Amino acid sequence: MHSSDNVTARARLGRLMNALLRRVLLSDSFVLFLAVAYFLVLWVFVPRLGSARNLSNLSSNIWPLFVLVIGQMFVLIIGGIDLSQTSIMAIASVCGALLMTSGLDPALFARNPLWGVLISEQGGPLAGSVAAVPIGILAMLAIGALIGLANGVAVAKCRMPPFMVTLVSMFFFSGLAIFITRSENVTNLPAGFLAIGQSYIGHVPAGRSSVGLMPYSFFAGVALASIAWFVLGRTIAGRWFYAVGMNRRAAAVSGVPTDRVIVFAYTISGFCAALGSVLYSSRLGAGRPTLGANVLLDVIGAAVIGGISLYGGKGKVRWAFYGVLFFVVLDSSLYMLNLRFYTVNIVKGVVILMAALLDVLRNRARMDRTPTASMELA
Amino acid sequence: MDSLRQSTLTMALRNVPILMFLGTFLIFGLLSPRFLEYQSLENIAKQASYIGIIAVGMTFVLLTGGIDLSVGSNMYVSAVTAGLLMQRFSILPVLALVICLAVGLVFGLANAFAVTRLHIIPFVVTLATQFAGRGLGWMLSQSRAVAFPQSVTGLGAVQLLGIPGPIVIFTGVVLAAWVVLARTTLGRQIYAVGHEIEAARKAGINTRRVQATAYCLCGVLASLGGFVSVAQLGNVNSGFGEMVEFQAIAAAVLGGTSLFGGIGNVFPGTVLGALLIQMVWAGLVATRTDLYLQPLIAAAIIFLAVLLDSIRNTALAKMGRHNIRIEEKSSGRPDTSQQHSPRRKPTN
Amino acid sequence: MSEPVLLFEHISKSFFGARALHDVTLAVQPGCVVGLIGENGAGKSTLMNIFGGVLQPDEGRMCLRGRPYRPAGPADATAAGIAFIHQELNLFGNLSIADNLFIDGFPRIGRTPLIHRRQAMQRAEEALAAVDLNVSPKTRIDRLTPGHKQLVEIAKALHRGARIIIFDEPTTSLTSRETHRLFSLIERLRRDGCTILYISHALADVLQLADEIVVLRDGQVVQTGPKEQFDIDTMIGAMVGRRIDQLYPTRRNAPGDRVLMSVCRVTEPGVVKDISFDLHAGEVLGLFGLMGSGRTEVARILFGLDCFQSGTITTGGPSRRRRSVRASVDGGMAFVTEDRREEGLLMEASVTDNMALVALPRYRRRRLLGTFNQRALRRTVDEMVGTLKVKCVDPRTDAVKNLSGGNQQKAVIGKWLLAEPVIGIMDEPTRGIDIAAKYEVYSIINDLADRGAGVLCISSELEELTGICDSLLVMSRGRICGRFRRSEFDEERILAAAFEGHIEHETRNESGAPN
Repeated sequence: MHSSDNVTARARLGRLMNALLRRVLLSDSFVLFLAVAYFLVLWVFVPRLGSARNLSNLSSNIWPLFVLVIGQMFVLIIGGIDLSQTSIMAIASVCGALLMTSGLDPALFARNPLWGVLISEQGGPLAGSVAAVPIGILAMLAIGALIGLANGVAVAKCRMPPFMVTLVSMFFFSGLAIFITRSENVTNLPAGFLAIGQSYIGHVPAGRSSVGLMPYSFFAGVALASIAWFVLGRTIAGRWFYAVGMNRRAAAVSGVPTDRVIVFAYTISGFCAALGSVLYSSRLGAGRPTLGANVLLDVIGAAVIGGISLYGGKGKVRWAFYGVLFFVVLDSSLYMLNLRFYTVNIVKGVVILMAALLDVLRNRARMDRTPTASMELA
Repeated sequence: MDSLRQSTLTMALRNVPILMFLGTFLIFGLLSPRFLEYQSLENIAKQASYIGIIAVGMTFVLLTGGIDLSVGSNMYVSAVTAGLLMQRFSILPVLALVICLAVGLVFGLANAFAVTRLHIIPFVVTLATQFAGRGLGWMLSQSRAVAFPQSVTGLGAVQLLGIPGPIVIFTGVVLAAWVVLARTTLGRQIYAVGHEIEAARKAGINTRRVQATAYCLCGVLASLGGFVSVAQLGNVNSGFGEMVEFQAIAAAVLGGTSLFGGIGNVFPGTVLGALLIQMVWAGLVATRTDLYLQPLIAAAIIFLAVLLDSIRNTALAKMGRHNIRIEEKSSGRPDTSQQHSPRRKPTN
Repeated sequence: MSEPVLLFEHISKSFFGARALHDVTLAVQPGCVVGLIGENGAGKSTLMNIFGGVLQPDEGRMCLRGRPYRPAGPADATAAGIAFIHQELNLFGNLSIADNLFIDGFPRIGRTPLIHRRQAMQRAEEALAAVDLNVSPKTRIDRLTPGHKQLVEIAKALHRGARIIIFDEPTTSLTSRETHRLFSLIERLRRDGCTILYISHALADVLQLADEIVVLRDGQVVQTGPKEQFDIDTMIGAMVGRRIDQLYPTRRNAPGDRVLMSVCRVTEPGVVKDISFDLHAGEVLGLFGLMGSGRTEVARILFGLDCFQSGTITTGGPSRRRRSVRASVDGGMAFVTEDRREEGLLMEASVTDNMALVALPRYRRRRLLGTFNQRALRRTVDEMVGTLKVKCVDPRTDAVKNLSGGNQQKAVIGKWLLAEPVIGIMDEPTRGIDIAAKYEVYSIINDLADRGAGVLCISSELEELTGICDSLLVMSRGRICGRFRRSEFDEERILAAAFEGHIEHETRNESGAPN
């Protein structure tokens, strides 16, 4: 009969929708769908969201954060945490800037401990040099890696809890950054450096002017992501990271050099923080002792939203990217909606809670979750 | 004598917090005699009181194996609410205190709900509420400083038998906390839950209630600490309470509380930790250290303290390898342990 | 016949389509000790978990003392007077005995929430006296031996008024003396009218203790009856469904002369002293001793997990004070640890990932990049899974935590075999696994030795060691105090050596040696 046909058709459609919904909800790329869905929904209300300028802005914001999250991901996978990424950003930013700067205002810097020693009115030791930018960047990356190394050694060899070690590290190095600049921003950085954060490859027209298509940070982000994916999915070290995160003792008995793995993870995290610092500092155009002060929530939030476990043993580069994407879209949308800064804070907090709750629900629904689905290319 | 050396070493390792405390005290005292003046020591105790109250609350949460990163925002929102109500409705300071504590309790309840009912891990929950709470506080205060009237600051200067109010309150809080942890069923259950939550559930403990109580207590104590601080300062600016959670956690951890749960105590543990941190700050000021160097030295000292604590744990564990059995009383039969192990007093 | 205290009727239970219990009907008389035996996976634990309220049956019902019994959770079971003493004890190591006894409700001072300490101590002492444990109630649990901890658990059960007590593999961590004491306690409980359900792989113990024996196989009751109807062979036969002529594979090849590992006067103060022995190619060397004699400590020192103060360990290269684990593994050493959950397996990882872990560096492709031949490794793992008969659906996606104990142990052994070890150290390799799996493990050890490796096998089961070893070392209180070649194996003399220094004042009969 006609009506019963309708009923069965509707029931079938309902079941199909249910299955589809389940499939989407439990899929690996769920957060990606969420981010895209959110973007589309909001676009309806705020058309400006889809403007070329805004998209370019989004793009510029994604890659530096992505770099940071990849570093944090390595540490999370081995079951630790790195709270010091923000202060590594600050100290790297400041040191690099002091090295590269081509002019400092004596009024601001005369009382600086390094005045006359390394820096002067003419700038830092590399001022004006052709090699200023590459050496400056290398120095920044080296600083990040070294601090990460120190963190890793403290956690691995001295058996100190990662939370405390990186917390103390955070205080120490942000204090150090403020100390060597006496809270002043370091400007007058070489154009080559600024270009990294401020120029683009390719331009698209937008309104009366044009906006950049692909920022340099894009290349940094993609390169780093590829390396991370390769290391985690295709190398022996990658297997070792997951093993240490799942059960450090069993890994040690099985011949995994757990100490080296832990040190390596923190070193990577420090390096990534420094790389992020290069991207952020070049964009801002200055070396800032307070760089990254508020970015910890974004990093951890993006990691959690992406599904990287804070307990260790789980994580994929893709998830990091989806988490960052969601976070950046959320962030920019909140500002577009002209919300006050405090409302932004509140919304971010609530969103992270929602995301964590969703993760809990998804894990419960997926009771037969295979372990290999949480590791890179097993 | 080998056993004498070993037992002194054991005692030294077991009492690392006290030794560090004394060591810091002596060093700063030698570097700057001004540090040892009564006023200075009283200041240390007063400053330690407000962090200490919050640290006691944090200890409860850490003992259950959780963490609360939102205490700073909690302090801020509670204080702002109380302050604004005082400004708008001229309520009595006592009522303001009650409201402040109530807001702190609600904050704690929110954390408790997310942890126990939504099953989200405490780190993420309290990170989120930290940000949301700070935003809420800014919204209420419109980012402006909220001033408290004379009646409250008057409270701040109250003394009991010559001892400043904050110290008295801190002592009271520590006493109450100690009683709860050592002498009530709930307190013992907190240790059980922190040790292994599944075993606790199987043993019939209402783990949800235990955890919720810990977060609520932490919330209330955070707001109390905030109020005590406000009574000293007289106003609440937009950065009030920032970074407090880290100081509170550091105080608890330095006092011997484990970040994994199940181990720790408020006295002498957290009290010593709070005093130690304040001593370091005060000592740095008394020795006229460069303002910009202070955070560096403070961080270095705390790092040293945590390092010593880790060394202590590994050394004790290693020695425990050798003395694994306890002897039975008067069995008449020789015991089967490797070495004679002295009967030890429980540390909780 | 009196009314049964406990009645299971047509109990069935399945997990994800796999049948764990099928139509189990069982009657237990009051004041009886019922021995429940069966291979791993036969359904013993599932049945007891249903009884204890941890699981719900799919079909069937239970009757307790004539009335229907349907526990919604463990709390209901406890309220009904049922106590479940698990293998993994539910005690809190950071709390005292008294705290553990009263953790769900201390005696209070009046109406206040404060604990009445004197009452608590008194009641705790009474509870401990009931199990004949002479330790202060203030003692922290983590300072007690496993045997004492178990007694505390039993004291807790009795304190809660348990009249039916289920023991699940209670003797795996106990010394002989502690086992003896447990048996006396069970005897006393039985005389007091408690009903005991005793699950164990130690068939001799079950035969000694039980009044009635129930055999489960593949989720069904295949045989029940008074203990007089059973002996070891019939028990094994009923459990496995066929006669087993042999418990231990025959040692085919005699050990060679080449020395693989030479240990000379290794000493670590307070742990082990003057440990000296040689391990030859093709030899299965057993290491026997009571709990706490230092066997595991020796193994850990040999492998490099712990350091030692003096002495030398030579494995065909220069000896070093603290050998790193990595060096040992690269040198061809394998170590199957005592505790597979803590140190043997990554519980959340797949079977393949677990088994690939040690051999991973051997499949390295390019040194600099660190890539490895994933496909070859997977193939080898699959082969090993087949050879060892590790029962799982798909090793690549099954998490190892879902495997039974025996299969988990085989996974651990397989992991080490893939690295083609020359020296194998196995600490309690058959702990907690059933008869058939045990035989498979013995065969693996045999094959390993036949192929020229040397195996050091540590175990608390003397019969097992005398069954598979070429020679035996006996340790007591950190020293080696007996060496026996296969021709000299004599259980009494070996046990005497193991007890050396422990029983100066006791006669042989009271030594607590298992019968």
